[in-house]
Amino acid sequence: MYPAQIGYYKPDSLGDALDFLEGKDAKVLAGGMSIIPMLKLRILRPKYLVDIGDLKELSFIKEGEVTAIGATTRHRDLASHKIPGLELIQETASKVGDVQVRNMGTVGGSLCNADPSADYPAVFTALEARMVLRSRSGVREVDANEFFKGPFSTSLKQDEVLEQIKVRSLKGYYQTYKKIVRRAGDYALVGLALAIKLDSGIVKDVRISFTGVDEKPYRAREAEKALMDSKLDESKISEASNLASRGANPPSDSRGSSSYRREVMRRLLKNTLEGILNAS
Amino acid sequence: MLVEPGQKAKIKVKVNGVLHEVEVEPRKLLVDFLREDLNLTGSKVGCDTSTCGACTVLVDGKSVKSCTMLAVQADGKEIVTIEGLSSDSKLSPIQQAFKDNFALQCGFCTAGMIVQTHYILSERKEITEEEARDLIHGNICRCTGYQNIINAIMDASRRMRQ
Ligand SMILES: Cc1cc2nc3c(=O)[nH]c(=O)nc-3n(C[C@H](O)[C@H](O)[C@H](O)COP(=O)(O)OP(=O)(O)OC[C@H]3O[C@@H](n4cnc5c(N)ncnc54)[C@H](O)[C@@H]3O)c2cc1C
Ligand code: FES
Ligand code: FES
Repeated sequence: MYPAQIGYYKPDSLGDALDFLEGKDAKVLAGGMSIIPMLKLRILRPKYLVDIGDLKELSFIKEGEVTAIGATTRHRDLASHKIPGLELIQETASKVGDVQVRNMGTVGGSLCNADPSADYPAVFTALEARMVLRSRSGVREVDANEFFKGPFSTSLKQDEVLEQIKVRSLKGYYQTYKKIVRRAGDYALVGLALAIKLDSGIVKDVRISFTGVDEKPYRAREAEKALMDSKLDESKISEASNLASRGANPPSDSRGSSSYRREVMRRLLKNTLEGILNAS
Repeated sequence: MLVEPGQKAKIKVKVNGVLHEVEVEPRKLLVDFLREDLNLTGSKVGCDTSTCGACTVLVDGKSVKSCTMLAVQADGKEIVTIEGLSSDSKLSPIQQAFKDNFALQCGFCTAGMIVQTHYILSERKEITEEEARDLIHGNICRCTGYQNIINAIMDASRRMRQ
C-alpha cells in the first residue's frame, strides 16, 4: 500500500514549521506511527507533510514543580525515565504498543491523534496537564480536559503545533496506569489512570480517568466525589466503582461490547483501589 | 528540505555501511526503498500495517518497522538491515543461535526477529525469559509457536556474554 502523492517539508526549527503550516493543506509528521498508516489507507490526503520528528528543540523532559515534556519526546525516552512525582508517565509509556513503536512514536503525536483507545490522553487528563499550542500568531495553553473533543479530534487549529505538555508534580500520590488488552501490544480494551492521595486512610485528593470507554478520555467525576474526604474502605470502593462504570458510555466494537467494557471498568477500579487499601 | 508533490527528494542514507545518495518520492516507504531500489530483500513485508515486525530494521541503532517509515525520514541516518548483521558469510552469534535452536520454519518472520533481537541485546546484555517475551512482542511468527525463538534469544544473550 502506497500513500498518495505528497509533498514533504523538513523544517530546521519550530519557527520554520509554523511559517510553513500557515494557510497550507499540510499535516504535521512526528513519529509517523499513526499518520503513516492513515496515509497508506488514504484516509488522510494532505498536500504536504511537515516533518518535526527530528527537531531537537521539541524533545525534552524538564523536571520541576511543574514538569515540561516536549511534544516529540519518544515513548522510549519516557519509558526509560522516571519523573519524581509523576511516576505513572513512565509506567504508561512502557505499555504503549511494542518496542519498535516506542522507538518512533512521540507523546505529542499520541495526544494530537486523540485515538479514543490511546493511553496518554486518559493519563494526562487525570494529571490535569496543560497543552501548550503554538502558531505563527502566538501561543495558548489549553487544559487536557478541553483539548480532547472527540474521536481523533482536538482543539488544535490547522496551523498550530503542540509544543509541550506541562504537568504539576503529584508527590505523595499513589499513582498508576492499568491497561487491559486482548493481546500483547494491542490498544486498550479499557485503561485506567489513577492518582490518589491518602492521609491516615482518608482520601485527600483523587483523579480517575479511563480510556477506551467513551469518545474521549472519561474522567469519573462522580466516583471521585464519592471518595473525596472519606475513609477508603470496602464499601466506598464498591460505591465509587459502580458510579464510575455507570457514568461512562462505552462503545461496542471488535475489542468488546459496551456492557462488557462497563464491567471491566468496574472491576479494574475496584481491584486497583483494593490493592491500594491493602498496601496502605 | 522542501519537496513539492510529484517531485523527488534527494536523500543521503548509509545502509549497512554503504553511503547512498539517491532520489525518492516522499511517499516511498523505507521498506520498499530497501527492497526495490537497493535490492536488499532480506527485510520482509508481512502485514504492511505496522503489526508483524517482519520489516524491522535499525535506524541509528534503534529498531523500527520500515513499512511505517518514509524513506525521506531516513535522510542523514544510518540503517542496518539483516544483510548487514553478518560479515564474510559468517553468521552473527544471534543468527547462529537461531539456527542452532531451530527458531525458524518458513523463515518469513526471521529477518525481523533477528534484527529485533540484535536491538534488544544491544540495549542490555542480560535479560530474563519474561523480558525477552515482552521485548519481542512486536514481532509475529505464524509457524514456530515462539518457544524456540525465545530459546534462541536466551542462547544468543549467553553466547554474547561469553
Ligand atoms: C502497532 C502499533 C501499536 C500501537 N499501540 C498503541 C497503544 O497500545 N497505545 C497507544 O496509545 N498508542 C498506540 N499506538 C499509536 C502510537 O502510540 C503512536 O505513536 C501515536 O499514536 C502517534 O504518535 P506519532 O508521534 O507516531 O504521531 P504521528 O503519527 O506522526 O502523528 C499523529 C497525528 O498527530 C498530529 N501531530 C503529531 N505531532 C503533533 C504536534 N506536535 N502538534 C500538532 N499535531 C501533531 C499529526 O499531524 C497526526 O495527525 C500504536 C501504533 C502502532 C503502529
Ligand atoms: S510489514 Fe511492517 S510490521 Fe508487518
Ligand atoms: S518461521 Fe514462519 S512466520 Fe515465523
